[in-house]
Amino acid sequence: MSLIKNWKFWALVIAALIWARMPWFVSNNYQLQVLFRITLFAALGLAWDLVGGYAGQLSLGHAAFFGVGAYGLALFTQLSIPVWISLFLAAVVATLVAAVIGIISFRLRGPYFALATIAFGEVLRLVATNLNVTGGAIGLTMPSLFTGRTFWRQFYLASVALVVLAFLINFLVSRSRFGYYLMAIREDEDTASAVGINTPRCKLQSLLLSAFITALGGALYASAFQFIVPDSVLTLDISIQVSIIAMLGGAGTLLGPIIGSALLLGSQEVFKNQFQESHLLIYGVLIVIVVLFMPEGIVGGLQQLFRKRAKSPSASAQPATSGAAQ
Amino acid sequence: MTAAPILELRDVTRRFGGLRAVKNVSLTMNEGEILFIIGPNGAGKTTVFNLISGFLHPNEGIILFQNQDISRMPPHRSARLGIGRTFQIVKPLRGLTVLQNVMLGAFMHTRNLQKAVEESKKILDFLQMSHLSKFLASGLPLAALKRLEIARALATKPKLVLLDEVVSGLTTSEALALAALIKRLPEWGVSVVGGVEHVMQVVMKIADRVIVLDYGAKIAEGVPADVVKMPEVIEAYLGPKFRELTQ
Repeated sequence: MSLIKNWKFWALVIAALIWARMPWFVSNNYQLQVLFRITLFAALGLAWDLVGGYAGQLSLGHAAFFGVGAYGLALFTQLSIPVWISLFLAAVVATLVAAVIGIISFRLRGPYFALATIAFGEVLRLVATNLNVTGGAIGLTMPSLFTGRTFWRQFYLASVALVVLAFLINFLVSRSRFGYYLMAIREDEDTASAVGINTPRCKLQSLLLSAFITALGGALYASAFQFIVPDSVLTLDISIQVSIIAMLGGAGTLLGPIIGSALLLGSQEVFKNQFQESHLLIYGVLIVIVVLFMPEGIVGGLQQLFRKRAKSPSASAQPATSGAAQ
Repeated sequence: MTAAPILELRDVTRRFGGLRAVKNVSLTMNEGEILFIIGPNGAGKTTVFNLISGFLHPNEGIILFQNQDISRMPPHRSARLGIGRTFQIVKPLRGLTVLQNVMLGAFMHTRNLQKAVEESKKILDFLQMSHLSKFLASGLPLAALKRLEIARALATKPKLVLLDEVVSGLTTSEALALAALIKRLPEWGVSVVGGVEHVMQVVMKIADRVIVLDYGAKIAEGVPADVVKMPEVIEAYLGPKFRELTQ
Protein backbone atom coordinates (compact mmCIF):
# COMPACT_ATOMS: atom_id res chain seq x y z
CA MET A 1 0.00 0.00 0.00
CA SER A 2 2.35 2.70 1.21
CA LEU A 3 5.12 1.02 -0.78
CA ILE A 4 3.90 2.55 -4.04
CA LYS A 5 4.16 6.04 -2.56
CA ASN A 6 7.52 5.48 -0.96
CA TRP A 7 10.34 7.22 -2.86
CA LYS A 8 12.92 4.85 -1.40
CA PHE A 9 11.15 1.92 -2.99
CA TRP A 10 11.19 3.54 -6.43
CA ALA A 11 14.81 4.63 -6.02
CA LEU A 12 15.72 0.99 -5.38
CA VAL A 13 13.72 -0.25 -8.36
CA ILE A 14 15.50 2.25 -10.61
CA ALA A 15 18.87 1.33 -9.11
CA ALA A 16 18.15 -2.35 -9.78
CA LEU A 17 17.17 -1.61 -13.39
CA ILE A 18 20.33 0.43 -14.00
CA TRP A 19 22.33 -2.34 -12.37
CA ALA A 20 20.79 -4.92 -14.66
CA ARG A 21 21.55 -2.65 -17.65
CA MET A 22 25.26 -2.34 -16.82
CA PRO A 23 26.39 -4.77 -19.56
CA TRP A 24 25.32 -2.19 -22.14
CA PHE A 25 27.76 0.31 -20.70
CA VAL A 26 30.86 -1.85 -20.42
CA SER A 27 32.91 -2.83 -23.37
CA ASN A 28 34.48 -6.21 -22.67
CA ASN A 29 34.09 -9.48 -20.91
CA TYR A 30 36.76 -8.68 -18.34
CA GLN A 31 34.81 -5.72 -17.03
CA LEU A 32 31.64 -7.75 -17.13
CA GLN A 33 33.34 -10.46 -15.13
CA VAL A 34 34.36 -7.92 -12.49
CA LEU A 35 30.80 -6.65 -12.30
CA PHE A 36 29.55 -10.22 -12.03
CA ARG A 37 31.81 -10.88 -9.07
CA ILE A 38 30.86 -7.65 -7.34
CA THR A 39 27.18 -8.41 -7.79
CA LEU A 40 27.46 -12.01 -6.75
CA PHE A 41 29.43 -11.19 -3.62
CA ALA A 42 26.93 -8.47 -2.78
CA ALA A 43 24.29 -11.20 -2.74
CA LEU A 44 26.53 -13.41 -0.61
CA GLY A 45 27.17 -10.51 1.76
CA LEU A 46 23.43 -9.97 2.11
CA ALA A 47 22.90 -13.65 2.82
CA TRP A 48 25.70 -13.66 5.40
CA ASP A 49 24.19 -10.58 6.99
CA LEU A 50 21.12 -12.53 8.13
CA VAL A 51 23.30 -14.62 10.43
CA GLY A 52 26.28 -12.33 11.02
CA GLY A 53 24.52 -8.97 10.96
CA TYR A 54 20.94 -9.34 12.12
CA ALA A 55 21.41 -12.32 14.43
CA GLY A 56 24.95 -11.21 15.31
CA GLN A 57 26.46 -14.69 15.01
CA LEU A 58 29.89 -14.31 13.45
CA SER A 59 30.00 -17.12 10.92
CA LEU A 60 33.37 -17.71 9.31
CA GLY A 61 32.25 -20.87 7.61
CA HIS A 62 30.07 -19.67 4.79
CA ALA A 63 32.51 -21.18 2.28
CA ALA A 64 30.98 -24.50 3.32
CA PHE A 65 27.61 -23.54 1.84
CA PHE A 66 29.22 -21.82 -1.13
CA GLY A 67 31.28 -24.93 -1.87
CA VAL A 68 28.48 -27.42 -1.29
CA GLY A 69 26.38 -25.40 -3.73
CA ALA A 70 29.15 -25.55 -6.34
CA TYR A 71 29.98 -29.22 -5.85
CA GLY A 72 26.30 -30.09 -5.63
CA LEU A 73 25.60 -28.56 -9.01
CA ALA A 74 28.51 -30.43 -10.59
CA LEU A 75 27.61 -33.78 -9.02
CA PHE A 76 23.87 -33.65 -9.61
CA THR A 77 24.35 -32.85 -13.28
CA GLN A 78 26.72 -35.82 -13.52
CA LEU A 79 23.69 -37.93 -12.57
CA SER A 80 22.11 -36.40 -15.71
CA ILE A 81 19.67 -34.29 -13.73
CA PRO A 82 18.85 -31.06 -15.65
CA VAL A 83 21.09 -28.16 -14.58
CA TRP A 84 18.40 -25.93 -13.17
CA ILE A 85 16.97 -28.71 -11.03
CA SER A 86 20.53 -29.58 -9.97
CA LEU A 87 21.04 -25.99 -8.95
CA PHE A 88 17.99 -26.14 -6.72
CA LEU A 89 18.95 -29.54 -5.29
CA ALA A 90 22.47 -28.30 -4.55
CA ALA A 91 21.00 -25.41 -2.55
CA VAL A 92 18.75 -27.81 -0.65
CA VAL A 93 21.71 -30.03 0.23
CA ALA A 94 23.66 -26.99 1.41
CA THR A 95 20.71 -26.08 3.62
CA LEU A 96 20.77 -29.55 5.14
CA VAL A 97 24.51 -29.20 5.74
CA ALA A 98 23.76 -25.85 7.41
CA ALA A 99 21.25 -27.57 9.67
CA VAL A 100 23.90 -30.01 10.88
CA ILE A 101 26.53 -27.29 11.32
CA GLY A 102 24.03 -24.97 13.01
CA ILE A 103 22.59 -27.47 15.47
CA ILE A 104 26.10 -28.25 16.67
CA SER A 105 27.78 -24.82 16.52
CA PHE A 106 24.93 -22.70 17.90
CA ARG A 107 25.46 -24.36 21.25
CA LEU A 108 28.51 -22.12 21.40
CA ARG A 109 28.46 -18.38 21.80
CA GLY A 110 30.68 -15.56 20.58
CA PRO A 111 34.18 -16.38 19.37
CA TYR A 112 33.67 -20.09 20.06
CA PHE A 113 30.90 -20.14 17.52
CA ALA A 114 33.14 -18.40 14.97
CA LEU A 115 35.88 -20.98 15.56
CA ALA A 116 33.44 -23.86 15.18
CA THR A 117 32.25 -22.54 11.82
CA ILE A 118 35.84 -22.20 10.60
CA ALA A 119 36.41 -25.81 11.62
CA PHE A 120 33.37 -27.07 9.72
CA GLY A 121 34.42 -25.16 6.60
CA GLU A 122 37.89 -26.66 6.76
CA VAL A 123 36.53 -30.16 7.38
CA LEU A 124 34.47 -29.92 4.21
CA ARG A 125 37.48 -28.67 2.26
CA LEU A 126 39.52 -31.66 3.42
CA VAL A 127 36.70 -34.05 2.63
CA ALA A 128 36.41 -32.66 -0.90
CA THR A 129 40.18 -32.88 -1.33
CA ASN A 130 40.25 -36.53 -0.36
CA LEU A 131 37.13 -38.04 -1.89
CA ASN A 132 37.07 -39.58 -5.33
CA VAL A 133 33.54 -38.42 -6.12
CA THR A 134 34.59 -34.81 -5.80
CA GLY A 135 37.66 -35.34 -7.97
CA GLY A 136 40.03 -34.79 -5.05
CA ALA A 137 42.49 -31.98 -5.41
CA ILE A 138 42.13 -32.12 -9.21
CA GLY A 139 38.57 -30.91 -8.97
CA LEU A 140 35.59 -31.13 -11.27
CA THR A 141 34.46 -29.44 -14.44
CA MET A 142 31.25 -27.52 -14.03
CA PRO A 143 28.21 -27.58 -16.26
CA SER A 144 27.46 -24.13 -17.57
CA LEU A 145 24.09 -22.68 -16.66
CA PHE A 146 24.30 -20.48 -19.73
CA THR A 147 25.90 -21.06 -23.08
CA GLY A 148 26.37 -19.10 -26.26
CA ARG A 149 28.38 -16.03 -27.15
CA THR A 150 26.72 -13.71 -24.65
CA PHE A 151 26.97 -16.11 -21.71
CA TRP A 152 28.82 -13.60 -19.51
CA ARG A 153 25.98 -11.19 -19.91
CA GLN A 154 23.54 -13.90 -18.83
CA PHE A 155 25.63 -14.85 -15.85
CA TYR A 156 25.73 -11.22 -14.92
CA LEU A 157 21.94 -10.92 -15.15
CA ALA A 158 21.57 -14.06 -13.04
CA SER A 159 23.77 -12.50 -10.36
CA VAL A 160 21.62 -9.36 -10.42
CA ALA A 161 18.57 -11.57 -9.97
CA LEU A 162 20.25 -13.21 -6.99
CA VAL A 163 21.07 -9.87 -5.42
CA VAL A 164 17.47 -8.76 -5.84
CA LEU A 165 16.27 -11.99 -4.25
CA ALA A 166 18.71 -11.65 -1.34
CA PHE A 167 17.79 -8.01 -0.86
CA LEU A 168 14.07 -8.80 -0.82
CA ILE A 169 14.59 -11.54 1.75
CA ASN A 170 16.59 -9.22 3.99
CA PHE A 171 14.05 -6.45 3.54
CA LEU A 172 11.16 -8.69 4.53
CA VAL A 173 13.08 -10.14 7.45
CA SER A 174 14.08 -6.71 8.73
CA ARG A 175 10.44 -5.63 8.72
CA SER A 176 9.12 -8.73 10.44
CA ARG A 177 8.86 -10.12 13.92
CA PHE A 178 11.47 -12.68 12.95
CA GLY A 179 13.89 -9.86 12.14
CA TYR A 180 13.27 -8.30 15.54
CA TYR A 181 13.89 -11.66 17.15
CA LEU A 182 17.25 -11.93 15.40
CA MET A 183 18.23 -8.44 16.51
CA ALA A 184 17.22 -9.25 20.07
CA ILE A 185 19.46 -12.31 19.98
CA ARG A 186 22.32 -10.15 18.70
CA GLU A 187 21.88 -7.58 21.44
CA ASP A 188 21.42 -9.96 24.35
CA GLU A 189 20.60 -13.62 24.15
CA ASP A 190 19.39 -13.88 27.76
CA THR A 191 16.97 -11.03 27.31
CA ALA A 192 15.77 -12.63 24.10
CA SER A 193 14.88 -15.85 25.87
CA ALA A 194 13.32 -13.90 28.73
CA VAL A 195 10.76 -12.52 26.27
CA GLY A 196 9.94 -15.99 25.02
CA ILE A 197 12.22 -16.26 22.01
CA ASN A 198 13.43 -19.75 21.22
CA THR A 199 16.93 -18.49 20.50
CA PRO A 200 18.52 -21.72 19.19
CA ARG A 201 15.68 -22.19 16.72
CA CYS A 202 15.74 -18.59 15.47
CA LYS A 203 19.49 -18.66 14.94
CA LEU A 204 19.16 -21.92 13.04
CA GLN A 205 16.38 -20.56 10.83
CA SER A 206 18.49 -17.56 9.90
CA LEU A 207 21.41 -19.84 9.05
CA LEU A 208 19.27 -22.08 6.84
CA LEU A 209 17.95 -19.12 4.87
CA SER A 210 21.45 -17.73 4.57
CA ALA A 211 22.94 -21.05 3.47
CA PHE A 212 20.33 -21.52 0.76
CA ILE A 213 21.17 -18.19 -0.92
CA THR A 214 24.90 -18.69 -0.39
CA ALA A 215 24.71 -22.09 -2.11
CA LEU A 216 22.88 -20.60 -5.09
CA GLY A 217 25.64 -18.00 -5.30
CA GLY A 218 28.36 -20.63 -5.04
CA ALA A 219 26.84 -22.73 -7.79
CA LEU A 220 26.40 -19.71 -10.04
CA TYR A 221 29.96 -18.56 -9.44
CA ALA A 222 31.49 -21.97 -10.09
CA SER A 223 29.35 -22.50 -13.15
CA ALA A 224 30.59 -19.23 -14.64
CA PHE A 225 34.22 -20.28 -14.27
CA GLN A 226 33.40 -23.84 -15.37
CA PHE A 227 35.88 -25.53 -13.10
CA ILE A 228 36.23 -26.09 -9.34
CA VAL A 229 38.84 -27.35 -6.95
CA PRO A 230 38.46 -27.48 -3.15
CA ASP A 231 40.86 -24.57 -2.76
CA SER A 232 38.77 -22.32 -5.00
CA VAL A 233 35.30 -22.79 -3.53
CA LEU A 234 35.74 -24.29 -0.07
CA THR A 235 38.50 -22.03 1.13
CA LEU A 236 38.50 -19.92 4.27
CA ASP A 237 39.28 -16.93 2.04
CA ILE A 238 35.72 -16.96 0.76
CA SER A 239 34.23 -17.13 4.26
CA ILE A 240 36.36 -14.20 5.34
CA GLN A 241 35.75 -12.17 2.22
CA VAL A 242 31.98 -12.53 2.54
CA SER A 243 31.99 -11.50 6.18
CA ILE A 244 34.33 -8.54 5.56
CA ILE A 245 32.10 -7.33 2.74
CA ALA A 246 29.11 -7.24 5.07
CA MET A 247 30.97 -5.73 8.01
CA LEU A 248 32.76 -3.12 5.94
CA GLY A 249 29.55 -1.98 4.32
CA GLY A 250 27.61 -2.20 7.56
CA ALA A 251 26.45 -5.42 9.19
CA GLY A 252 22.75 -5.51 9.93
CA THR A 253 21.91 -2.87 7.33
CA LEU A 254 20.11 -3.46 4.06
CA LEU A 255 22.49 -1.60 1.76
CA GLY A 256 25.71 -2.31 3.65
CA PRO A 257 26.72 -5.58 1.98
CA ILE A 258 26.06 -4.15 -1.49
CA ILE A 259 28.22 -1.11 -0.83
CA GLY A 260 30.83 -3.27 0.87
CA SER A 261 31.10 -5.55 -2.12
CA ALA A 262 31.40 -2.69 -4.61
CA LEU A 263 34.04 -0.98 -2.50
CA LEU A 264 36.07 -4.02 -1.56
CA LEU A 265 36.05 -5.97 -4.81
CA GLY A 266 36.03 -2.82 -6.94
CA SER A 267 39.07 -1.34 -5.23
CA GLN A 268 40.78 -4.72 -5.23
CA GLU A 269 40.40 -4.85 -9.00
CA VAL A 270 41.52 -1.28 -9.60
CA PHE A 271 44.55 -1.53 -7.34
CA LYS A 272 45.49 -4.92 -8.73
CA ASN A 273 45.83 -3.37 -12.15
CA GLN A 274 47.66 -0.31 -10.85
CA PHE A 275 50.01 -1.72 -8.28
CA GLN A 276 50.24 -5.45 -8.98
CA GLU A 277 51.12 -7.33 -5.81
CA SER A 278 51.18 -4.30 -3.56
CA HIS A 279 47.43 -3.95 -4.04
CA LEU A 280 46.95 -6.08 -0.94
CA LEU A 281 48.59 -3.35 1.10
CA ILE A 282 46.10 -0.75 -0.05
CA TYR A 283 43.27 -3.19 0.42
CA GLY A 284 44.47 -3.74 4.00
CA VAL A 285 44.80 -0.03 4.70
CA LEU A 286 41.25 0.49 3.46
CA ILE A 287 39.92 -2.08 5.90
CA VAL A 288 41.89 -0.56 8.76
CA ILE A 289 40.54 2.91 8.00
CA VAL A 290 36.95 1.74 8.00
CA VAL A 291 37.39 -0.32 11.16
CA LEU A 292 39.03 2.62 12.94
CA PHE A 293 36.67 5.37 11.92
CA MET A 294 33.46 3.51 11.18
CA PRO A 295 33.34 0.40 13.35
CA GLU A 296 29.69 -0.02 12.43
CA GLY A 297 30.60 -0.16 8.75
CA ILE A 298 29.99 2.49 6.16
CA VAL A 299 26.21 2.42 6.11
CA GLY A 300 26.01 1.80 9.87
CA GLY A 301 28.38 4.71 10.50
CA LEU A 302 26.38 7.09 8.34
CA GLN A 303 23.14 6.03 10.00
CA GLN A 304 24.64 6.73 13.40
CA LEU A 305 25.82 10.13 12.27
CA PHE A 306 22.33 11.08 11.11
CA ARG A 307 20.70 9.63 14.17
CA LYS A 308 22.98 11.64 16.43
CA ARG A 309 22.11 14.81 14.57
CA ALA A 310 18.41 14.05 14.73
CA LYS A 311 18.05 13.16 18.38
CA SER A 312 20.85 13.25 20.81
CA PRO A 313 19.89 11.63 24.10
CA SER A 314 21.52 14.24 26.29
CA ALA A 315 19.57 16.78 28.30
CA SER A 316 16.15 15.58 27.23
CA ALA A 317 16.91 11.99 28.15
CA GLN A 318 16.29 12.39 31.87
CA PRO A 319 13.84 9.74 32.91
CA ALA A 320 10.54 10.85 34.29
CA THR A 321 11.48 9.98 37.83
CA SER A 322 10.41 13.31 39.23
CA GLY A 323 7.08 13.02 37.48
CA ALA A 324 6.62 9.51 38.75
CA ALA A 325 6.62 10.43 42.41
CA GLN A 326 2.92 10.63 42.93
CA MET B 1 -5.11 -13.93 49.51
CA THR B 2 -7.96 -16.23 48.69
CA ALA B 3 -6.98 -17.36 45.18
CA ALA B 4 -5.10 -20.54 44.33
CA PRO B 5 -1.32 -20.39 44.50
CA ILE B 6 0.22 -19.12 41.28
CA LEU B 7 3.70 -20.22 42.21
CA GLU B 8 4.98 -22.89 44.51
CA LEU B 9 8.52 -23.96 45.35
CA ARG B 10 8.87 -27.28 47.16
CA ASP B 11 12.18 -27.97 48.88
CA VAL B 12 14.19 -26.48 46.07
CA THR B 13 17.96 -26.89 46.23
CA ARG B 14 20.52 -25.66 43.75
CA ARG B 15 24.21 -26.40 44.01
CA PHE B 16 27.15 -24.81 42.24
CA GLY B 17 29.94 -27.32 42.73
CA GLY B 18 30.30 -27.66 46.48
CA LEU B 19 28.30 -24.54 47.26
CA ARG B 20 24.62 -24.87 48.00
CA ALA B 21 23.38 -21.51 46.76
CA VAL B 22 19.77 -22.34 47.53
CA LYS B 23 18.93 -24.81 50.31
CA ASN B 24 15.55 -26.51 50.62
CA VAL B 25 13.59 -23.37 49.96
CA SER B 26 9.82 -23.70 49.88
CA LEU B 27 7.41 -20.92 49.21
CA THR B 28 3.88 -20.38 48.05
CA MET B 29 2.61 -17.34 46.30
CA ASN B 30 -0.94 -16.23 45.68
CA GLU B 31 -2.34 -14.51 42.67
CA GLY B 32 -2.18 -10.72 42.76
CA GLU B 33 0.29 -10.76 45.61
CA ILE B 34 3.43 -8.66 45.88
CA LEU B 35 6.06 -10.79 47.53
CA PHE B 36 9.57 -9.62 48.24
CA ILE B 37 12.54 -11.84 48.75
CA ILE B 38 15.13 -10.05 50.82
CA GLY B 39 18.49 -11.03 52.14
CA PRO B 40 22.06 -9.84 52.34
CA ASN B 41 24.42 -9.95 49.39
CA GLY B 42 24.99 -13.56 48.30
CA ALA B 43 21.91 -14.91 50.06
CA GLY B 44 20.69 -16.64 46.88
CA LYS B 45 18.02 -14.23 45.69
CA THR B 46 19.18 -14.08 42.10
CA THR B 47 19.58 -17.85 42.02
CA VAL B 48 15.96 -18.22 43.11
CA PHE B 49 14.89 -15.90 40.28
CA ASN B 50 16.98 -17.82 37.77
CA LEU B 51 15.41 -21.06 38.97
CA ILE B 52 11.86 -19.77 38.64
CA SER B 53 12.46 -18.28 35.18
CA GLY B 54 14.22 -21.37 33.85
CA PHE B 55 17.70 -19.92 33.42
CA LEU B 56 18.82 -22.48 36.00
CA HIS B 57 17.25 -25.76 37.01
CA PRO B 58 17.04 -27.11 40.57
CA ASN B 59 19.14 -30.07 41.67
CA GLU B 60 16.40 -31.11 44.05
CA GLY B 61 12.81 -30.16 44.61
CA ILE B 62 10.18 -28.91 42.18
CA ILE B 63 8.77 -25.62 41.04
CA LEU B 64 5.09 -25.38 40.16
CA PHE B 65 3.60 -22.53 38.19
CA GLN B 66 -0.19 -22.67 38.16
CA ASN B 67 0.09 -26.30 39.20
CA GLN B 68 2.37 -27.14 36.27
CA ASP B 69 5.85 -28.46 36.92
CA ILE B 70 8.30 -26.02 35.37
CA SER B 71 11.46 -27.24 37.08
CA ARG B 72 13.18 -28.32 33.84
CA MET B 73 11.64 -25.82 31.44
CA PRO B 74 13.92 -23.66 29.23
CA PRO B 75 13.55 -19.90 29.80
CA HIS B 76 11.69 -19.10 26.60
CA ARG B 77 9.00 -21.61 27.44
CA SER B 78 8.58 -20.27 30.98
CA ALA B 79 8.25 -16.82 29.45
CA ARG B 80 5.51 -18.09 27.15
CA LEU B 81 3.68 -19.62 30.12
CA GLY B 82 3.53 -16.18 31.69
CA ILE B 83 6.65 -15.62 33.73
CA GLY B 84 8.24 -12.28 32.95
CA ARG B 85 11.50 -11.21 34.48
CA THR B 86 13.96 -8.36 34.78
CA PHE B 87 17.68 -8.74 35.25
CA GLN B 88 19.62 -7.46 38.24
CA ILE B 89 22.39 -6.29 35.94
CA VAL B 90 20.18 -4.64 33.37
CA LYS B 91 20.24 -6.32 29.98
CA PRO B 92 18.72 -3.88 27.54
CA LEU B 93 18.92 -4.47 23.80
CA ARG B 94 21.38 -1.60 23.48
CA GLY B 95 21.36 -1.16 19.74
CA LEU B 96 17.57 -0.87 19.64
CA THR B 97 15.34 1.99 20.68
CA VAL B 98 13.32 1.99 23.88
CA LEU B 99 10.15 1.38 21.90
CA GLN B 100 11.72 -1.54 20.01
CA ASN B 101 12.90 -3.04 23.30
CA VAL B 102 9.35 -3.09 24.60
CA MET B 103 7.99 -4.30 21.25
CA LEU B 104 10.09 -7.44 21.63
CA GLY B 105 8.07 -8.23 24.71
CA ALA B 106 4.83 -7.54 22.87
CA PHE B 107 5.85 -9.83 19.99
CA MET B 108 5.18 -12.77 22.26
CA HIS B 109 1.50 -12.25 21.54
CA THR B 110 1.38 -10.69 18.12
CA ARG B 111 3.14 -10.94 14.82
CA ASN B 112 1.80 -7.57 13.76
CA LEU B 113 4.29 -4.72 14.07
CA GLN B 114 1.63 -2.05 14.38
CA LYS B 115 -0.12 -3.89 17.18
CA ALA B 116 3.19 -4.36 18.98
CA VAL B 117 3.84 -0.62 18.71
CA GLU B 118 0.44 0.26 20.15
CA GLU B 119 0.72 -2.12 23.08
CA SER B 120 4.26 -0.98 23.82
CA LYS B 121 3.19 2.65 23.84
CA LYS B 122 0.54 1.90 26.46
CA ILE B 123 3.13 0.26 28.66
CA LEU B 124 5.63 3.06 28.18
CA ASP B 125 2.88 5.51 29.16
CA PHE B 126 2.23 3.56 32.33
CA LEU B 127 5.91 3.60 33.22
CA GLN B 128 6.07 7.30 32.38
CA MET B 129 8.78 6.95 29.80
CA SER B 130 6.97 7.61 26.51
CA HIS B 131 9.17 10.61 25.90
CA LEU B 132 12.17 8.27 25.70
CA SER B 133 10.66 5.84 23.21
CA LYS B 134 12.79 6.89 20.25
CA PHE B 135 16.14 6.89 22.03
CA LEU B 136 18.57 4.03 21.79
CA ALA B 137 18.65 2.00 24.97
CA SER B 138 22.45 2.37 25.06
CA GLY B 139 22.15 6.08 25.94
CA LEU B 140 19.81 5.76 28.90
CA PRO B 141 20.69 6.35 32.54
CA LEU B 142 20.24 3.51 35.03
CA ALA B 143 16.88 4.66 36.37
CA ALA B 144 15.40 4.54 32.88
CA LEU B 145 17.01 1.18 32.15
CA LYS B 146 15.46 -0.32 35.28
CA ARG B 147 12.08 0.86 34.06
CA LEU B 148 12.78 -0.46 30.61
CA GLU B 149 13.37 -3.89 32.11
CA ILE B 150 9.93 -3.76 33.70
CA ALA B 151 8.33 -2.42 30.52
CA ARG B 152 9.74 -5.23 28.42
CA ALA B 153 8.63 -7.86 30.93
CA LEU B 154 5.17 -6.32 31.22
CA ALA B 155 4.74 -6.31 27.43
CA THR B 156 4.82 -10.09 27.41
CA LYS B 157 1.54 -9.92 29.40
CA PRO B 158 2.92 -12.08 32.19
CA LYS B 159 0.93 -13.53 35.06
CA LEU B 160 3.96 -13.27 37.27
CA VAL B 161 6.89 -10.89 37.06
CA LEU B 162 10.20 -11.38 38.79
CA LEU B 163 11.87 -8.09 39.58
CA ASP B 164 15.44 -8.81 40.53
CA GLU B 165 17.00 -5.88 42.42
CA VAL B 166 14.87 -3.52 40.46
CA VAL B 167 15.52 -0.53 42.71
CA SER B 168 19.15 -1.12 43.57
CA GLY B 169 21.55 1.56 42.43
CA LEU B 170 18.83 4.19 42.30
CA THR B 171 18.62 7.30 44.41
CA THR B 172 15.98 7.27 47.11
CA SER B 173 13.60 9.47 45.14
CA GLU B 174 14.03 7.37 42.02
CA ALA B 175 13.49 4.19 44.01
CA LEU B 176 10.33 5.47 45.67
CA ALA B 177 8.92 6.65 42.36
CA LEU B 178 9.53 3.23 40.87
CA ALA B 179 8.06 1.52 43.95
CA ALA B 180 4.84 3.45 43.44
CA LEU B 181 4.62 2.01 39.95
CA ILE B 182 5.42 -1.52 41.11
CA LYS B 183 2.60 -1.29 43.62
CA ARG B 184 0.26 -0.69 40.70
CA LEU B 185 1.44 -3.73 38.72
CA PRO B 186 -1.39 -5.97 39.99
CA GLU B 187 -3.71 -3.67 37.99
CA TRP B 188 -2.20 -5.34 34.93
CA GLY B 189 -3.18 -8.73 36.27
CA VAL B 190 0.27 -9.71 37.41
CA SER B 191 1.66 -11.02 40.63
CA VAL B 192 5.05 -9.72 41.61
CA VAL B 193 8.09 -11.31 43.16
CA GLY B 194 10.64 -8.68 43.98
CA GLY B 195 14.14 -9.16 45.22
CA VAL B 196 15.87 -6.51 47.26
CA GLU B 197 19.04 -6.45 49.24
CA HIS B 198 18.70 -3.43 51.44
CA VAL B 199 16.28 -0.81 50.14
CA MET B 200 13.91 -1.58 53.00
CA GLN B 201 11.96 1.61 52.55
CA VAL B 202 10.60 0.23 49.31
CA VAL B 203 9.86 -3.19 50.72
CA MET B 204 7.99 -1.79 53.72
CA LYS B 205 5.86 0.36 51.46
CA ILE B 206 4.75 -2.11 48.83
CA ALA B 207 5.28 -5.72 49.88
CA ASP B 208 2.32 -7.80 51.01
CA ARG B 209 4.66 -10.42 52.32
CA VAL B 210 8.40 -10.84 52.75
CA ILE B 211 10.65 -13.87 52.65
CA VAL B 212 14.14 -13.59 54.08
CA LEU B 213 16.99 -15.65 52.71
CA ASP B 214 20.37 -16.05 54.33
CA TYR B 215 23.12 -18.29 52.95
CA GLY B 216 20.58 -19.86 50.61
CA ALA B 217 18.09 -20.87 53.30
CA LYS B 218 14.76 -19.33 54.18
CA ILE B 219 15.08 -17.91 57.67
CA ALA B 220 11.92 -15.88 58.02
CA GLU B 221 8.60 -15.11 56.40
CA GLY B 222 5.77 -12.76 57.16
CA VAL B 223 4.38 -9.27 56.72
CA PRO B 224 7.13 -6.65 56.39
CA ALA B 225 6.52 -4.96 59.72
CA ASP B 226 6.94 -8.23 61.62
CA VAL B 227 9.84 -9.56 59.64
CA VAL B 228 12.12 -6.62 60.29
CA LYS B 229 11.77 -7.18 64.02
CA MET B 230 12.65 -10.86 63.95
CA PRO B 231 15.95 -11.60 65.70
CA GLU B 232 17.10 -14.01 62.97
CA VAL B 233 16.69 -11.32 60.36
CA ILE B 234 18.54 -8.74 62.37
CA GLU B 235 21.33 -11.21 62.91
CA ALA B 236 21.55 -12.01 59.21
CA TYR B 237 21.93 -8.38 58.34
CA LEU B 238 23.85 -6.96 61.28
CA GLY B 239 25.56 -9.91 62.97
CA PRO B 240 24.95 -11.84 66.20
CA LYS B 241 25.86 -8.90 68.44
CA PHE B 242 22.76 -7.03 67.34
CA ARG B 243 20.58 -10.06 67.88
CA GLU B 244 21.38 -9.90 71.57
CA LEU B 245 20.53 -6.26 71.68
CA THR B 246 16.99 -6.97 70.52
CA GLN B 247 16.30 -9.52 73.22
